[in-house]
Amino acid sequence: MTTQEAPASVYRSREGLGIWEHRGKVAAVGIGHSPTARRWDNKPETSVGAWSILALRRAMEDAGVTPDQVDGLVICPVTTTGAFWPDDKPIPMDVVNAFNPTDDPLDGIAKLSAEWLLKNMPELVNVKFTSYGPGCMSNAICVAAQAVGDGQTNTCLVLKGWHNFEGRYYQGGAAAADAIPGTSAISRLWGTPASYGTALQFAEYCRKYGKHHDMMAPFMSNSRRNGLMFPEGYWAQHRPEHLTTEDYLSARWIAKPASLFDNDIPIMVCAAYLFTTAERAQNMRQKPVYILNHAASRGTPRSLTPTLDEVEAETASTGRKIYEGAGITADDLSFENMYDGFSLFHQFHIEGLGYRGIKFGEALDFYQTDISIEGPNPVLPSGGNIGSGRSRFWMHTDCIQQLQGRAGARSVTGVKPEIAVSGGPMPLGGNFTVWSSTPG
Amino acid sequence: MVILISFDIDGTLEVGDPPGVLSMDLVRRASARGCVIGSCSDRPISGQRAIWEQHEIPVDFAVTKHMLPDVKAKFQADVYYHIGDREDLDKKYALEAGFEFLWPDEAMEEPWLSADGNA
Repeated sequence: MTTQEAPASVYRSREGLGIWEHRGKVAAVGIGHSPTARRWDNKPETSVGAWSILALRRAMEDAGVTPDQVDGLVICPVTTTGAFWPDDKPIPMDVVNAFNPTDDPLDGIAKLSAEWLLKNMPELVNVKFTSYGPGCMSNAICVAAQAVGDGQTNTCLVLKGWHNFEGRYYQGGAAAADAIPGTSAISRLWGTPASYGTALQFAEYCRKYGKHHDMMAPFMSNSRRNGLMFPEGYWAQHRPEHLTTEDYLSARWIAKPASLFDNDIPIMVCAAYLFTTAERAQNMRQKPVYILNHAASRGTPRSLTPTLDEVEAETASTGRKIYEGAGITADDLSFENMYDGFSLFHQFHIEGLGYRGIKFGEALDFYQTDISIEGPNPVLPSGGNIGSGRSRFWMHTDCIQQLQGRAGARSVTGVKPEIAVSGGPMPLGGNFTVWSSTPG
Repeated sequence: MVILISFDIDGTLEVGDPPGVLSMDLVRRASARGCVIGSCSDRPISGQRAIWEQHEIPVDFAVTKHMLPDVKAKFQADVYYHIGDREDLDKKYALEAGFEFLWPDEAMEEPWLSADGNA
């Protein structure tokens, strides 16, 4: 069995599709997280493969599901965006041989296949459906939700793992090659930082609406505060440091006006969820969290980097898709958990949603109001990547935990957690999910 | 002779992530010998201050990487050193700010840090 990427037809990327046909019929139940680390320590038991196995087993245990009951597995095969194994670096055969390898010795170390996982999780004896949701958990969730709804799998594990190696992020791989194929040869000319495009959009946003980078500070501090109440996260586990306004405003520029803290910290971490049908979920250990819709952004810019106009048009369209398929309006959202890694595009996402009625150009003013978990307008209660490190999945875990009543100190208290939205990564190019405490 | 020493944290000090070769006792020694000391790191300023407070080492400054020129402007010294582990984020900033640059292992040989030295 060779696992394939989910076909494009899985994703709800157009407006006008109506209510999702499986609205409220698919549920998330179990959650499993690995520990976090800044970088891999080269031990087999802390490799991305080992921690993925750990997360998957914890998700099954959390849901009260035995491994033989699992019949589906959806994962992201790429486990980094910027930490690549150098071509001239020897393969650590002690790590490779600590597991049942595939044909690729870096499988389980610098990438992850469904085949590697199944070879190393012999307890998963009944997995008949596997698929890849490339990019991030946001994508895999959509693939798994659709697969469960379509009946391709009944009890499905969804996984995203991240590795991180020594050295600087985004300095290896294609960035270190003599030639870069495709449009990246132009769009990444002179080795622009990854946040460069977002920084350009944010600069134009500030010019257009008369805002300033300093206005991001309350959002940044609030996100780190939330993250420090996320015991699964990197900052909570390793460096319980708040990010004060002074800290944020004194950071050096990476791509002005994107500063160091507008870029997230790469880490090692894995997370898994257990999805099943709403009916089957009734008999599991945790409270089901129902999926009302999944939606996708597949917008492409006219040129090399999306303009602010294109960003706003796309996030508005994404908002309409999200609400249309879920059969809800912005007024139904208890809170939002849109992506933040880069922090400077979070406001694009929530303006597109019209969260709490905000319009384009108003998010930074909204950040100056009470956006805490205790208030009536919680913004990013997960804390996102700012609060817990680069994973692109804290927002999903938080939505599930909040609606299950398991968010602990991070629980939203100013609103009743009933319906939430999460997703990302980019304003142009992302996947989004609407979660609900009831089937609708 | 007034010596100002700026310490990077991650990869330089033992409390860094990753840990560096310079112990906090060495930093104390430099302070006791009258050096003007502080940190210059990509860590949040509040986090830098917390480290020094946790180890009960009074420092004269805690700044981010691009603020070394401010340190030089604020403190009068005969020589300014920045100790760090990165070519791009330590050495580059140090030299641009008019500091002498030392790798951590080089710094341990300096008299103001070594156990038997005089400064």
